[in-house]
Amino acid sequence: MTITREAVEAFLFHEADLLDDMDAEAWLALWAPECCYWVPCNGRDDSTDPQRQVSIIYDDRARLEDRIYRLMSSAAHSQRPRSRMRRVVGNIRYEVREGEVHTRSNFLLAELRRGRQEIWSGVSQHRLLPASDGFQIRAKTVLLTQSDEAIDNLTFLL
Amino acid sequence: MNAPHALSDYAHLVQPDRVHSAIYTDPAIFEQEMARIFHRTWLCVGHQAELPNPGDFRATTLGRQPVIMVRGEDGQVRVFMNRCRHRGMTVCETETGNARFFTCWYHGWVYRNTGPLQDVPGPAGYGADFHKEDFGLTLVPRQASYRGFVFASLAPTGPTLAEHLGPAAKYLDIYMDASPVGDIDVTAGVHRTRYRGNWKFVGMDGYHPHYTHRSVLDAWRRRSGGNMADTHHGDPFADDSGNLTRDLGNGHVLLDFFPGRMGNLDRYLATLRKLPQGEDYIQAMHSAHGEARGNELLAWAGDPHVGIYPNLQLIGVQIRLVRPLAVDDTEVLMFPGLLKGVPASVNSLRLRQHESFYGPAGAGSPDDAELFERNQEGLQASVDPWLYLGRGLNRERVEPDGTRVGLVGDETTQRGQLRGWLELMSEALA
Repeated sequence: MTITREAVEAFLFHEADLLDDMDAEAWLALWAPECCYWVPCNGRDDSTDPQRQVSIIYDDRARLEDRIYRLMSSAAHSQRPRSRMRRVVGNIRYEVREGEVHTRSNFLLAELRRGRQEIWSGVSQHRLLPASDGFQIRAKTVLLTQSDEAIDNLTFLL
Repeated sequence: MNAPHALSDYAHLVQPDRVHSAIYTDPAIFEQEMARIFHRTWLCVGHQAELPNPGDFRATTLGRQPVIMVRGEDGQVRVFMNRCRHRGMTVCETETGNARFFTCWYHGWVYRNTGPLQDVPGPAGYGADFHKEDFGLTLVPRQASYRGFVFASLAPTGPTLAEHLGPAAKYLDIYMDASPVGDIDVTAGVHRTRYRGNWKFVGMDGYHPHYTHRSVLDAWRRRSGGNMADTHHGDPFADDSGNLTRDLGNGHVLLDFFPGRMGNLDRYLATLRKLPQGEDYIQAMHSAHGEARGNELLAWAGDPHVGIYPNLQLIGVQIRLVRPLAVDDTEVLMFPGLLKGVPASVNSLRLRQHESFYGPAGAGSPDDAELFERNQEGLQASVDPWLYLGRGLNRERVEPDGTRVGLVGDETTQRGQLRGWLELMSEALA
């Protein structure tokens, strides 16, 4: 496929819809077989060593599948009821490196659950592999603004 | 107050098999907990391995009182009240960092990281009877350590730390001795979590996992590997698992998974052997402790699952500190400890196991927090204000050292914590 800004934006917006709708199975289908989903902790960025520093999330494919499997369970209490969410993805920048598309975008997410609304924000960094029908996610790192604050429930998808 | 008994009648509120919901919901009782428990007994401030370098500090609170735990330029770890000796402002405004000096930005008083007052702006304005050495940062009234765990008490007198820990001390050894050199690294960061519920819900409960964590247990059965299932065999929470609950006195309790884990040792060793240099860790443990004790410590996996009353728990790989903020608001800090003297792969596994269950996006802690919040809501229904905590009373036994023992899902632990609570709450204030 041809890599255009329009195609990159369309993919990120599509992903945002799946996340907001908690369509976790469809979201999982976007990921490459070898992948890394990373949310660093303690205000750190992607220069930290996740083998020496704790992360909020550091999933390979197997752990990501476990996460989705659990989230879909009727006993995932922290998502019963589910978070109602809507996010805006913007400030999208991208470049092509060795056949992969590296994107950097901002998100602003309103999350409502059990009478409490939270505002979450951060920077998402995607590494995307061009595929016949769009892209596959090779890696996604979310630098969450709140990553050094006390958080009660981050079991929805970022 | 409409309660039929005075709320200070704590013995009425905590009975052998039941507890009154007021101790979880009443702000006046929470204030008494601050005074009688958190501003008096031994609290864990942290582990000195959080502060490897001179000047490293972490600011926190003991009950409501702000303190700084800092490694001074002389290498000593001290706990100071975070309060300028001049007008009382906090002198450390960031949670963690490294500092040679703490400066009060109100009027510029400067303190060394070992405590003494270094400089006062405009010294000529102070008379001959003003001596800087009288105005160093105030130390907590009492400080003591065990295996690098730093404890402080805001009361000038009381039981020693050794008396407070009693038989619970050996479980801190289990945590530390998962390292073949008996030492840990606590610089991997912290998961900070928070829930809108009473601090005492962070209990030590072997009865809840089948329901609260059903989604996790299902996931374990589906695929084991890279998560906590590696250290358990079968259903560790079943009454017939061989696992136990222990009430060690003074409110200290544990879920004793050792029987089940010893039965799972071969499987856990196989998991370790699959790691790069994993065999080196096993050999180092055998060299350090002998094969029999080394195997026992490997089976424990550094997870004593112990609660040191009132604010420290050692669960999984984490040092967990509980910070009550209000009667219905609690912060929980989870510091994963990395082992010294082991291959990097062992510590990577520890981090991934921790993240799989704990922290704000883990598979376990957020479900606990969710149920704690529903618990806080449910307790507002106070027409019948009693919670029943009698599971296992009919089969509890007492060992010669006074430890009460029940099956893993028995409420021996809840009863033990509340017994510790009642003792502390019932002591007269000085």
